[in-house]
Amino acid sequence: MTTLEMSAKPAVPVRTPRVNLKQEGERFALVGAWLLLIVTFGILMPDSFLSWRNFSTMFGSQAVLVVLTLGIIIPLTSGDFDLSGASTLTMSSMLIGVLNARDGWGLAPTLIIALASGLVIGAVNAFFVLYFRIHSLIVTLGVGTFVNGLILWISKSQTISGVSMSLVEWVIINRLFGIPLAFFYALLLAAVIWYVLEYTIAGRRLLFVGRGREVSRLNGINVDRVRAVSFIVSGLIAALAGVFYAGMTGSADPLSGLNLLLPAFAAAFLGATTISPGRFNAFGAVISVYFLVTGITGLTMLGADAYVQNLFYGGALVIAVALSQLVRNRQPQEFS
Amino acid sequence: MRQILFTSLLAATATLLAAQPGAADPMSDAKAIVAEHETMPVFTPPGEAFDAKACMAGKKVLSIPISMTIPFNVELQKGMAQAAKEVGFTYTTWDNQLKVDQWIQGVSQAISQKYDALDIAGGLNPEVLGPQLAEARAAGLKISTTHLYDVTQEQFKGVDYSAKVDFSGAGKLLAAWAYVKTGGKPNVLIIGSSDVLPSIPFVQSIQSELKALCPQCKQKHLDVPVSEWATKIQPGVQSALLADPTINYILPIYDSMSQFVVPALRITGSEGAVKIASFNGTPFVLDMVRENHVQMDIGESLGWAGYAAVDNIMRMMCGLPSAAKLNVPLLIFDERNIKTAGIPANFNDGYGDAHLEGFRKLWKLK
Repeated sequence: MTTLEMSAKPAVPVRTPRVNLKQEGERFALVGAWLLLIVTFGILMPDSFLSWRNFSTMFGSQAVLVVLTLGIIIPLTSGDFDLSGASTLTMSSMLIGVLNARDGWGLAPTLIIALASGLVIGAVNAFFVLYFRIHSLIVTLGVGTFVNGLILWISKSQTISGVSMSLVEWVIINRLFGIPLAFFYALLLAAVIWYVLEYTIAGRRLLFVGRGREVSRLNGINVDRVRAVSFIVSGLIAALAGVFYAGMTGSADPLSGLNLLLPAFAAAFLGATTISPGRFNAFGAVISVYFLVTGITGLTMLGADAYVQNLFYGGALVIAVALSQLVRNRQPQEFS
Repeated sequence: MRQILFTSLLAATATLLAAQPGAADPMSDAKAIVAEHETMPVFTPPGEAFDAKACMAGKKVLSIPISMTIPFNVELQKGMAQAAKEVGFTYTTWDNQLKVDQWIQGVSQAISQKYDALDIAGGLNPEVLGPQLAEARAAGLKISTTHLYDVTQEQFKGVDYSAKVDFSGAGKLLAAWAYVKTGGKPNVLIIGSSDVLPSIPFVQSIQSELKALCPQCKQKHLDVPVSEWATKIQPGVQSALLADPTINYILPIYDSMSQFVVPALRITGSEGAVKIASFNGTPFVLDMVRENHVQMDIGESLGWAGYAAVDNIMRMMCGLPSAAKLNVPLLIFDERNIKTAGIPANFNDGYGDAHLEGFRKLWKLK
């Protein structure tokens, strides 16, 4: 009979997980910079900047940009660009303007059509990218421009006001803790995207496809299906952003929503330097939008001219990404 | 003796005060400016009558608007085309989508197709087309601008005639309106776009009129380039309202800016307390007046503007002096008369049609 002596101590010593300060510093650098901005403007304008009214205004007013950014990070995660996002947003809000405000449709069928338009645009993007094997940059640019033409056509180049006040109330007027509900919708969407990407098989597949399409294919992932779904979901979320945009302004304008494309990409790339550095992530995108808007709000309240906002916006983006690269010893960036 | 001296001093002071312009009764002055624009427009001839049909026989005019994706330009061009049709000369609109290469093509087309006049319309700055316009001029074309310059501005030297707009008058009217509606205590946020040529005198006229009416009143100017209206106006207005909660009036100089001002008021909880008044008479903003989101919008009939623009082009072609300004009256739309603008509102209803009869007579068509 053999006796097996079990040591009380494990053969391999258990290493308590160490906090990698450099890594953690990188993860939360943007959050720190955001807090620093708040403190700086708070010292300069304690009464106006630090008021809850100011914060609730900042949170509420950027919800559309947050949702659009969340939409475009889905295909960015799978390695594709969706440059038609802002066009989808504008089409969705214009459909609400045309159907609800101009033609008198009820809100429910109008919203279904508006959201469906996003699904259709996403599906068209997916078809051309995947069937014809064309780069997403080209297809989504072309489809976006085509959609812009459709928007001008259906709107007769007119801005349409008079969108149902019920939508306006559920987006911007009704509040929780003094903050318009649009902010909470955006936050909820960010939480859902974060959960899906981190904890579901579908989300992990999306990440794998973004990291390496060939490797994913060899591992049995249906890469085309994953990419198609990412385009369709992106279209749907952009259309949702359009619903919020119509609710925010109470009107639909054939051009102005298109201006949100670059800020959304800026926020997506800035967001990829925080929380999960090197990866497009939902809460990183949310934080980057609010970091940028905090700076712009503070500068405007101090009376800075419009061009200073551009200096801040562009400068903050480049400097944040550059600092993040320094921390990472200037490794080549591979966003996915 | 002391009594006489005191009385004389008092009388002299009163005389001096009365002699100062604007110091008499600012409220009456402001109300007079407002009242002038509350009545239905009447036609006043912009110059001497002439036989337009005879003078324009066989003539061809090509107009390049800044962009035909802007409803304002579409309606202005419709008005111009209708006026040209009545007179009976060839009028062509060069359709484009805010692209420099398309504008250049338009000028080339006018030269190669042997047009007699080239009109640069609806906000397009002729300086952008300097070399092309010089070429057109060398080829014998007359060049005009429509609805670009303020009456106080000098035209570009490459242009022959300009149908200038009374933006400064609209600015004075906006300032007077804010002064009257706040009971003489305006704290105003003006939103301008310095990249649009007439914006600078427009904003200056609001600022100087407010200063004249109420030297101690506060005013602030938010300058947002056109391409950034969608992303900068709302946060700019929000920040201004949060930094100074006593702001009680917002004056976006172009009414399409209002769609980004209203959400800022809603988010900051200022809707109702802070009012909006603007200029242009764009239909969706007139709808916003009807729905009580905007208090007042100064409108100009674009059908009328089209006829007035063609009138000035024909004066250029016929060797008559240029009209001092585009013959378009400014009309106030507020809750009292907004329904006359149509439901939904459009660019032409509510102004009457005095211009049709007036111009026909002026051009000796009847």
